[in-house]
Amino acid sequence: MRTPRLLEAKDLSVVFGGVHALDGVSFSVGYGEIVGVIGPNGAGKTTLFNSLVGLQRLSSGSICLAGEAVTGLKPHQIAKKGMTKTFQNTALFPDMTVRQNVMTAALSHSVQQEAFEEADEILSMLNLTPIGDADVNDLTFPQKALVEMARALATRPKILLLDEVMAALNPVEMDEVMRVIRFLIQTCALSILVVEHHMRAIMALCDRLLVICFGRLIAEGTPAEIANNPKVIEAYLGQGSGDADKRDKVNRHAQN
Amino acid sequence: MSKKSLFISAVIVAAALAPFGFEPKGHSIRVLSTALLFAAAAQSWNIVGGLANQISLGHAAFFGIGAYTSTLLYLKLGITPWAGMLAGAFLAVIAAIILCIPTMKLKGHYFALATLAFAEVLRVVANSWETVTGGSVGLSLPYVNPSFIDFQFASTYWYYWIILVTLCVISFVFHYISVSSLGYKLRAIRENEDAAEVSGVNSFAVKMIAATTSAAFMAACGTIFAQFNYFFDPESVFNLPGISIRVAMIAIIGGIGTVAGPILGAIFLIPLEEYATAAFSSVAGLAQLVFGCILILAVLIQPRGFMAFCSRKKKKPQNSDVGAEVGQ
Ligand SMILES: Nc1ncnc2c1ncn2[C@@H]1O[C@H](COP(=O)(O)OP(=O)(O)OP(=O)(O)O)[C@@H](O)[C@H]1O
Ligand SMILES: [Mg+2]
Repeated sequence: MRTPRLLEAKDLSVVFGGVHALDGVSFSVGYGEIVGVIGPNGAGKTTLFNSLVGLQRLSSGSICLAGEAVTGLKPHQIAKKGMTKTFQNTALFPDMTVRQNVMTAALSHSVQQEAFEEADEILSMLNLTPIGDADVNDLTFPQKALVEMARALATRPKILLLDEVMAALNPVEMDEVMRVIRFLIQTCALSILVVEHHMRAIMALCDRLLVICFGRLIAEGTPAEIANNPKVIEAYLGQGSGDADKRDKVNRHAQN
Repeated sequence: MSKKSLFISAVIVAAALAPFGFEPKGHSIRVLSTALLFAAAAQSWNIVGGLANQISLGHAAFFGIGAYTSTLLYLKLGITPWAGMLAGAFLAVIAAIILCIPTMKLKGHYFALATLAFAEVLRVVANSWETVTGGSVGLSLPYVNPSFIDFQFASTYWYYWIILVTLCVISFVFHYISVSSLGYKLRAIRENEDAAEVSGVNSFAVKMIAATTSAAFMAACGTIFAQFNYFFDPESVFNLPGISIRVAMIAIIGGIGTVAGPILGAIFLIPLEEYATAAFSSVAGLAQLVFGCILILAVLIQPRGFMAFCSRKKKKPQNSDVGAEVGQ
């Protein structure tokens, strides 16, 4: 008998009134792995994340987390089983401080006092202690992204889904967030699934990439394999220019 | 003792002594008692309206259930209204569960309309189920020898004190919920339900706890209303403007989601309404018009309620550039 992978998604489909936002997507994520999800705008990346964490009902398909079926469970049940996500445009609780945001997520397994202690530990691990009592509306983009991650970590995930945490960040801020992600993988026994548009970040960060286009998984492989995959180049750059030219563009993206 | 608890204790003591400034059987003490009873009802509403941000326009349903349950048990079986109050609260919890299972997912005005319809249905039932409820004639409590067990007192003072204790209990529970982990979960849901769910908050269960607690207290207020007035009919307890909208209005005018809001709102609105009715009784409808205008003014001047004037934490502008030095 083979040991199950941490996350196994089979044949996930989501239909919005005739539009196949996800169409038979299957993949798996191993323990301690960082897997990137890339694809053009509207490809279905956020829909994929939402269906994994239970925010989006599946039209068909099944999801197993650590060998246990989680298909059809509510988001809070899936969060308690160890899978949660951050939001594309950040969705912090605006009337709470940073510390309260993180503490609220820790309440899923602890009483209030312990939850505050746990929040403080996470904040200090991510070097966020100085802004613990700040109003979340006063934070910068990179700070918001880190607080989103801190809140997600407070649910004690086995796998964390990061939806474009690095959008709107400049290269220096991106390096800082990437450093944090690597640090988490090393210290928290965590797997990460990450959606990102910045090729440089995703190529540098991920063990493996999934490419989604029009709701379908069109390619899967190491960053190097993906960068040279003709289907991916096609999907990203469309038809019109010569093959050599396209490959060149993707590679340039990758090096940026 | 902290400054805050000292202040609260002083207010409660002052409120407890307040009746001695009024005639024991006079009109003023009745108005004051009514104001505090509506403060208690609005505080109950505030648990679901303010903390869970589910704006109910059907709280008369629970109010009426409380009034009918205790009064019918007393009239038909001789059960003390105090036990009837508990029974009413219990039935209100069941009614809230039945109401909320299908409606809790609804947002904003959809939830408001669903709750409104629920209370209207109960009003129609109370009007037409004559054999049990007495129909549109209503129910009257017989005057007996004043005694605690019969929940009847010779002096209005006693009603006032009972109402004051009720208000304190509900306000304490409101405050306790708002600082407990349940309160954090409710705030999280109110601010972003999806984010709350993926953070492990069972939004359905949490909102249900708020709704049932709110319903139970509202029913208790209904029982007290019945005992205090000795008479009610479907139109007085299941009334849309008179109960459902009024309790929401009191909480909103005073400051939704704050513990002092419903109290300030009721102390302002109920006597004002009373005064408007007395002062403008010459022309039919004039009192309501004046009262309505004052309400509109109050909402225009401070949409977030009276409590917004006293809140120390000023709302900061969004996206301000505090901490912008990171990586710039
Ligand atoms: N709630 C919804 N109802 C209807 N259609 C939707 C809904 N959510 C997403 N879609 C559609 O599903 C498709 C996939 O959207 P999704 O947000 O998953 O894309 P994405 O890959 O995350 O894009 P982006 O890179 O812009 O974030 C799009 O065509 C979108 O318009
Ligand atoms: Mg997206």
